[in-house]
Amino acid sequence: MPHALLLKYPGTNCDVETERALRTVGFSTQVQPIATAAPEHVAKSQLVVISGGFSYGDYVTSGRLAQLETERFLGDALHRHHAGGGLILGICNGFQILTKLGILPSSSLIDNKSERFECLWAKLVKVAKDSPFLQGLPDEFELPSAHAEGRLVTRPGDAEKYLAAGYVALQYADNRDGCACSIAGLQDATGRAMGLMPHPERFLLPRHHYDKDWSAHEDWGWGYFLFKSAFDTLK
Amino acid sequence: MSAKTYRTVPVRDLSSDELLELSKQQKLSLSREDMEVVQQIFREVDRDPTDVELEVIAQTWSEHCKHRIFSASISHSVNGGAPETVNSLFKTYIKKPSEKIMERKPGFVLSAFDDNAGFIALDDKLAVCLKAETHNHPSAIEPYAGANTGLGGVIRDILGAGKGAKPIASLDVFCFGAPDTDPASITAPDVIHPLGIMRGVVRGVRDYGNRMGIPTVNGAIQFDPTYIYNPLVFCGTAGVIPRGDILKEMRPGLKVIVIGGRTGRDGLKGATFSSAALDEASHEEDFTAVQIGNPIEEKKTLDFILEARERGLIVFITDCGAGGFSSAAGEMLSVTGGEIFLDNAPLKEPGLISWEIFLSESQERMVMAVEEKDLPELQKLADTFQTELTVLGHSDNTGILKVWHKGELVCCLDNSKLHEAPVKKLSSVFTSGRGLTGQPMPDKDLGKSLETVMSDFAIVSREPIIREYDHEVQGNTILKPLAGATADAPQDGSVVDIDGSDKCMAMACAILPEWGKTDPYAMGTGTVDECVRQLILVGSNPDKIGLLDNFCMGNPEDPAELGRLVECVKAIAKAADAYNAPFISGKDSFYNYFETEDGPINVPVTFLCSGFGVVESPDHATGSSLRRDDSLLYLIGNTEDEMGGSVFARTHGVNDCKVPQTDCAKNMELYKAYYNALTSGLVLSAHDVSEGGLAVTAAEMAFSGKGGVQLDLTKVPTVNGWKSPAIPLFSESTGRILVEVDPEFAADFEAAMEGFPCACIGRATPEKRLAATCCGGEKVLDCELARLKKLWKDGLTPYY
Repeated sequence: MPHALLLKYPGTNCDVETERALRTVGFSTQVQPIATAAPEHVAKSQLVVISGGFSYGDYVTSGRLAQLETERFLGDALHRHHAGGGLILGICNGFQILTKLGILPSSSLIDNKSERFECLWAKLVKVAKDSPFLQGLPDEFELPSAHAEGRLVTRPGDAEKYLAAGYVALQYADNRDGCACSIAGLQDATGRAMGLMPHPERFLLPRHHYDKDWSAHEDWGWGYFLFKSAFDTLK
Repeated sequence: MSAKTYRTVPVRDLSSDELLELSKQQKLSLSREDMEVVQQIFREVDRDPTDVELEVIAQTWSEHCKHRIFSASISHSVNGGAPETVNSLFKTYIKKPSEKIMERKPGFVLSAFDDNAGFIALDDKLAVCLKAETHNHPSAIEPYAGANTGLGGVIRDILGAGKGAKPIASLDVFCFGAPDTDPASITAPDVIHPLGIMRGVVRGVRDYGNRMGIPTVNGAIQFDPTYIYNPLVFCGTAGVIPRGDILKEMRPGLKVIVIGGRTGRDGLKGATFSSAALDEASHEEDFTAVQIGNPIEEKKTLDFILEARERGLIVFITDCGAGGFSSAAGEMLSVTGGEIFLDNAPLKEPGLISWEIFLSESQERMVMAVEEKDLPELQKLADTFQTELTVLGHSDNTGILKVWHKGELVCCLDNSKLHEAPVKKLSSVFTSGRGLTGQPMPDKDLGKSLETVMSDFAIVSREPIIREYDHEVQGNTILKPLAGATADAPQDGSVVDIDGSDKCMAMACAILPEWGKTDPYAMGTGTVDECVRQLILVGSNPDKIGLLDNFCMGNPEDPAELGRLVECVKAIAKAADAYNAPFISGKDSFYNYFETEDGPINVPVTFLCSGFGVVESPDHATGSSLRRDDSLLYLIGNTEDEMGGSVFARTHGVNDCKVPQTDCAKNMELYKAYYNALTSGLVLSAHDVSEGGLAVTAAEMAFSGKGGVQLDLTKVPTVNGWKSPAIPLFSESTGRILVEVDPEFAADFEAAMEGFPCACIGRATPEKRLAATCCGGEKVLDCELARLKKLWKDGLTPYY
């Protein structure tokens, strides 16, 4: 059974539901507070997940302190895991952390265009069709999102290069936050590391949808299929 | 030798006037009578108190901590009649009726009134709890920090309930001045404009709740000019716990530890500060009474507590709220006695004197009693979650609270004396208004009237605020505050899944301060009715509902103000009994008045009824948004000429009407019939008829975007009838639900509601309009939904 490690920082607050989602699709799981995390924990996992929240309050650039603490406790274990064929997923704050760790293409997630926190579902377009995380999903789907810092920015011209190079995993259909090239999720060159702002773990079941009449799938919400895709890739 | 960290305050030889002067000077908020009792206590032990002891007594006896108005002996007179004596509003009208209800349904309420929050049974394994607090005074002076720590504080209440409940959902209710208040109309200097209050408060709640990872799923806002000077901020949080972890008991020989944040000078005297009126000087002098929040510190504390509780390491736990260590340790050691060593407390800054350390309300601290043998494991947990753990002292069997600092005994108080505050004596009067019926109502252009009502601040969408709160974190919110085809239509309550159970929990709240200005009794029954109705409407089992009461008012020493409170409290006792829904926790806030040059401005007596209920299956969770364009609409409950306190009356200059009267027992029978229909699968959606009346209810249902609504007002059930079509459209009579039913199930639904006031009053239509006809088919309303929705949806957006 593939094993998933969830790293937990002070302020991480989506670990419970993300672990629930991982177990639902078949993973064995372990939530590890960063102060007790060691390279061995990474070594025995096929998937490392950094879930959403506000690591260290995000009082400096989101994800920056978590990056430093991750390097302090795990050294380059995440990079080795990735190089060895393991998967890495960052959701919301986890995405912000992965951009700082250099696992995903260089970028930053800054204040939304609206300059406020917004809890609102997002319509998404699948760009990386062969992503190990997205294979089980249709070309267009919806996920809940909730963040204040979800506006992806890059050095001038980089976003367009990422799009051309296949680093863009997901785009927003409406780009409310004002992201460069409407980017909602990025992946690395191998596709084995992905980060996204929306929260797949919050749409595990049809009843999690805001519309009681949602019926695109009988048993599961779209978020389920993201985790299931990763499981199917690894099993 | 360093300077002394405490001083002795001579009180034994002071005159009565000098005692009162001392209380004022030290900002103790103790009355002359209280100070005389203090003097007596220290004459008996033949010594003078230390400043620490005086502060401890002031905090313990403060209105905030002891609820002395609700325990007072009140002489109450109605319409000039002979006065009756109410010995404790709390015991007579809240505790006693609730205990009666608990006897009627054993095993439902698992804990009430004596813990940080009340618990009800969810299933065989789990219990849920709910607590709501106010943070009015701090929010008036520093809106962001005040509201921030208001939510932080109530979350700690949940963490300190039982042996540590897990917070799973929050609600927030605000009462503000209108955001478009003319600044020139605010006469007192330094008062923050309602817009600044609203923005600060919303962001304060947002930044605490979101960072804690607790979904804010429910709430309300009221606007009234009297709230300009004293805004009201209610924060509530629900939690879940294994039933076996609810009961906790102190015993001698335990270590007392503090976990979380450090102690500093922020939040000094919050408990006593909140027990006094605000005035112009408050904005300058009392800012140290407002605490500073750090949600990540509290999140680490939360992670620590839940893990420690699961491992069985917590014997007793309570939060450090108002009164700080004094209140937490005082509560914990009130039975056993024990010693606290202030030198051990980790400080934010050096130089704090004894009472500052003991009374500081610095946030994010939880106090626990644990076995000494478990300390190493607890320390390891603290390291894991990167939070600070300190041993403060221990419990013993002396019954005396002893506090040491720098080798000296700075406080030594007999708990039995400390926890018996003198009973206050108050008087109250109530004179009822006229409450006319049959008044002529404007009925010329009701479409225009509906637009006025729809765009009133009392009705408009709270969407800009709701979006700033994460209402879906934890991944369990199955009925969200906004739903429908485009996720922006309002819902009557929220429903959340509970991990480890196949049942869910519903949350709802109601607040109708406008009604209480005329008829506080009707406000009491009507508010409880609306809360209970919303809970059942969204799917709660009517037999499994728990309620909370939160009261705010101005000066309780003003007999007319207090009279309205007494009437309202009497009403809620009656209502709880009829709905068989006990009050399991509550909180009150007094002295919400502001001294201006033109005299005091009191807030109206404000009663927030929040509640939670057990939803037996996620399939029962029912939204308030229209789902078809060919369904039938049934109105259950009677509509009467009761325009008092309505949004229509207020916006159309109609005065002195009758406020809706509530027959709680009858309504409960109606709701049970509705619940049977709902659980039989006969209900597509349902929306309560409340503020704004039937027209607003129908419009809000149609805001789901799936269809329009056509109503025939002649079909609306009524006992006494009406003269103007404005009544069925805008009266706010209680006990009513508009229900959407599939035509295929119409006969079944009618059979289920047989014998109750219930009629098919219209249907959903493919045309996106809201139309109504009256006698002879006359069209009295025909509005384009898109236009109504825009007015409603954009009402608050200019202010964000």
